[in-house]
Amino acid sequence: MEPIIPSTRALKVKTYICLALMMTLGSVGNTILDKGMKSLGSIDFSTRAAIWQGILHTFTSGTIWLGIGCMLLFMVCHMLVLSWADYSFVMPFSALTYALVPLLGYIWLGEYVPPARRAGIVLIVVGVFLVSRTPPRTTPATRDNSAS
Amino acid sequence: MRTALILSFVVLTGTCGEIGLTHAMKQIGEVHEFTPAAIFGVLLRSLRQVWLWIAVSLMALSFYAFLTMLSWYPVSFVVPATSLAYVAGAFGAKFLLKERLSAIRWAGVVFICLGVALAWADQVPALPHLREAYGFFRLFIFAAALVPLAFYLFSAWTSLQFFRGAQPSADTQDFTPPVSILKPLRGLDRGAYENFASFCRQEYPRYEILFAVSDENDPAVPVVRRLTRDFPHIAIRLIVDPERKGANDKVGKLCRLAEEAKNPLLVITDSDVRVAPDYLRKVAGLFRDPRVGAVTALYRALEAPSFGAVLDTMGSLSFSGSALAARTLEGLKFTMGSTTATTRERLAEIGGFAPLLDVHSDDYEVGRRIAQKGFRVELLADPVDMEFPSESVRDYLRHELRWLIGLRHIRPGGHFGLLMTQGIAWAALAAILASSMVASAAWITAYLFIRLFSGYLIGVRGLGDPVVRRKLWLLPLHDCFWFFLWLASFAVNRIEWRGLVFTLEGGRMVAVASRPQGA
Repeated sequence: MEPIIPSTRALKVKTYICLALMMTLGSVGNTILDKGMKSLGSIDFSTRAAIWQGILHTFTSGTIWLGIGCMLLFMVCHMLVLSWADYSFVMPFSALTYALVPLLGYIWLGEYVPPARRAGIVLIVVGVFLVSRTPPRTTPATRDNSAS
Repeated sequence: MRTALILSFVVLTGTCGEIGLTHAMKQIGEVHEFTPAAIFGVLLRSLRQVWLWIAVSLMALSFYAFLTMLSWYPVSFVVPATSLAYVAGAFGAKFLLKERLSAIRWAGVVFICLGVALAWADQVPALPHLREAYGFFRLFIFAAALVPLAFYLFSAWTSLQFFRGAQPSADTQDFTPPVSILKPLRGLDRGAYENFASFCRQEYPRYEILFAVSDENDPAVPVVRRLTRDFPHIAIRLIVDPERKGANDKVGKLCRLAEEAKNPLLVITDSDVRVAPDYLRKVAGLFRDPRVGAVTALYRALEAPSFGAVLDTMGSLSFSGSALAARTLEGLKFTMGSTTATTRERLAEIGGFAPLLDVHSDDYEVGRRIAQKGFRVELLADPVDMEFPSESVRDYLRHELRWLIGLRHIRPGGHFGLLMTQGIAWAALAAILASSMVASAAWITAYLFIRLFSGYLIGVRGLGDPVVRRKLWLLPLHDCFWFFLWLASFAVNRIEWRGLVFTLEGGRMVAVASRPQGA
């Protein structure tokens, strides 16, 4: 069995930098998208024309594009971090956006955050903390960077 | 329906997309440079991966469905609901990407899902029938909270039955096949000499005692030598075998002892056990019935030298209650370290001790395997005495947790079933949900009364344990610790045993240092 790449300090540092960028871009992007979609109103699925109309509206809104821009940058960070870290390690971290999204929703959109949701956020943070106690990578390298 | 459809669509396409993306990026390999040019290069190279395109298409589909959902529902509903992707993702990572999900990582994922479910909860009051659902839930909890109380009463009743009817009849007393007593040793317990000497004072025609240590300098060696001097008429042998055969050192010694033993009946006891002079005769007598494959014994404390030992005694009392109840319900399916007696043939049928070399709960496992072969495991009428070590509360918690983790690996169903024996937790939950203070107090009182009553019948009347007699009132404290240990045993997979760290994989101990950590 091929030995694991040791979770060096460098590996951890770059993992956490990418994750931090992902979380920021992800939660900001989500909130912007929500604001954009709300301003468009509900999509009508009754006829094909109405659906296309909905899609067209979606993609001509500036706010939506700003949100999509954030999500694209998010995607780049996501791809980079997945080139070395476990998916099951990265995925739980994006749950931290769940803590940030209600917070931004509360600050920016004025959405109410009830006590149950606050408790949920605490559980999410505990869960993410548990995952952060595990090594970021548990699979062996398949191919070297320069090889392909 | 519309919600469920779009939700499963978002989750499934999203998860499959992410798994595909991870696969594609792992093909490209770890990125080391972070200049814009290097990152651009990586992105370009990733475009040549077929999996990336599949992943991106799936994710785009998922993303558009997600946008649609956002236009239907508020973001604080949509985001938590789509978090089902975490469970799906964890399974995908395990089975498709072959990632190694440790118990801690699983626990993290479960916590996140619970957190998300809780964040969800404020959507529920909008549903009709909520009041009825809550009423039903409360009734369900009350009914469930009665189960542990019934269990306490049942185990007390089985204890009365057992201790009343267990004295063997005279004819079984004459069944005396030659016995080999096997004692794997490491270090010295309190009262070691007296413990060992009690085995030399057996009123039994033919038996030998075999001790094993792995080191000539073990402090147990002089004690055994003194024993051979003091009891010259007893066949006592000391085997020094430094070879380490597996992760479980005790089983390694048992393998050797079983080879050396000359007699057909093998009696294995932990080094801290002290027995009465008629012990062997009673153990052997039970084997007169050929359906009996193994014999084990309950145990009681001689004294409790520390608070940790008192809690340990309460733990044994609790365990004895469960063992007695299990014996009545389905027959015993395990043996205990206090006594594991079996015949050479039965041992051969389960392949000897060698298959247990890496098993954590070896004493438990011997009985379980013999019971699986269709033989009965019998319980000795008298409990043996146990010299509990002067342990700290920390030591006690640690070894109890170790035992629970071991149980979870051998009998996951039984381990989960302990839920229904957690009287204190259920009573507390029922008290919280009760409609009045009086009802709450009634739940707590019922728990305390029934638990202590049952503890008295089993521990004082049945086992005759002097520590239980004096400290019975600490039983609820033990229950409290025990509940949290049980919860913890779901999340922890790492045990410390005699200075070495192991993880358990299917009941087998794998030393952490030597564990291959690849895929």
